[in-house]
Amino acid sequence: MPDAQPAAAAPTDAALIAAYRGGDEQAAAALVRRHARALARFLAAAGGAEAELDDLVQETFVRAFRALGRFRGDCQFRTWLLTIGGNVLKDAQRRARRTRLVPLDEGVRSADGDPHERAVAAEAAARLAAGLARLPPMQRNVFLLRAQQGLEYAEIAAALGTTPGAARVHYHHAVKRLKEYVA
Amino acid sequence: MTQYEDLDDARLRRLAEQLGTAAAERLDVEATARGVLARLRRETRAPARPWWPAPAWLRAAAAAAAVVGLGVAGALVRGAAHRARAGDELAAPAGAELRELSADQLRELLETVSEPAAPGAPAAAALVATQDVGLDDLAVPQLRDLLQSLEG
Repeated sequence: MPDAQPAAAAPTDAALIAAYRGGDEQAAAALVRRHARALARFLAAAGGAEAELDDLVQETFVRAFRALGRFRGDCQFRTWLLTIGGNVLKDAQRRARRTRLVPLDEGVRSADGDPHERAVAAEAAARLAAGLARLPPMQRNVFLLRAQQGLEYAEIAAALGTTPGAARVHYHHAVKRLKEYVA
Repeated sequence: MTQYEDLDDARLRRLAEQLGTAAAERLDVEATARGVLARLRRETRAPARPWWPAPAWLRAAAAAAAVVGLGVAGALVRGAAHRARAGDELAAPAGAELRELSADQLRELLETVSEPAAPGAPAAAALVATQDVGLDDLAVPQLRDLLQSLEG
């Protein structure tokens, strides 16, 4: 018999969701710890101001936990969460009556490379952020879910209630328009 | 698709992957988790909202409309009963005074009028009460008394 017990596998999202629905609030905390950064990255890229990021992330999780009964598992929990985050951000921007952009140095904050390269990369990132802010919400969400989160079209389509073919078209329209800003 | 476009796509994806990374890294995930749990607990403790979560001004307006409706109905009934001698007194509808009340006063008044008339009250008392209570609040004997008094 080995001395050490094998490390317990981390519970799946489905197991945590079931535990939370059974009254275990620490399961909710575990889901927040697991997905908060990916959600924050998505929200920041989609135009969420860093000062409001924590509020946006919290609001997204609260809405998601409220609506867990409607989560059918057609897509991953994270994908579903990101689409809720997109709606939360849209509501916040509607309230603020303005679109916020990611700061100029956001996203490409690396100590590597020479200052000139960093400045060029930061400028490109800022242009991309500006371009994203101008895209229709569906194109922006599809682009970020695909390019930033690396999701497949089928997964994106299931989360957004569309078809993989339509998601692919949204992505290509988004890329075409974003190239005009970034190039 | 040209090689130039392929390169552009790759660059765009790299930029997108990095976008928001620094802000996300600065997020205090533990604080976020605590905040989410606190909000969920508050929602659990909070009483269930009514199925008609109308804003306060709308509820006040609905209450005012209900009171005005009751007042007008009462005035019509009383007017029919006393039209020969009380016409001048009823020239100003009950709603005119109600319009001058604040939302809190209207709410208080609504609570007052929801109290049913005392059972077994005489017909005269029932007539007076109809200005302040809805017909639905009256018992069958009171309604019968009211009809008899209207018939003269």
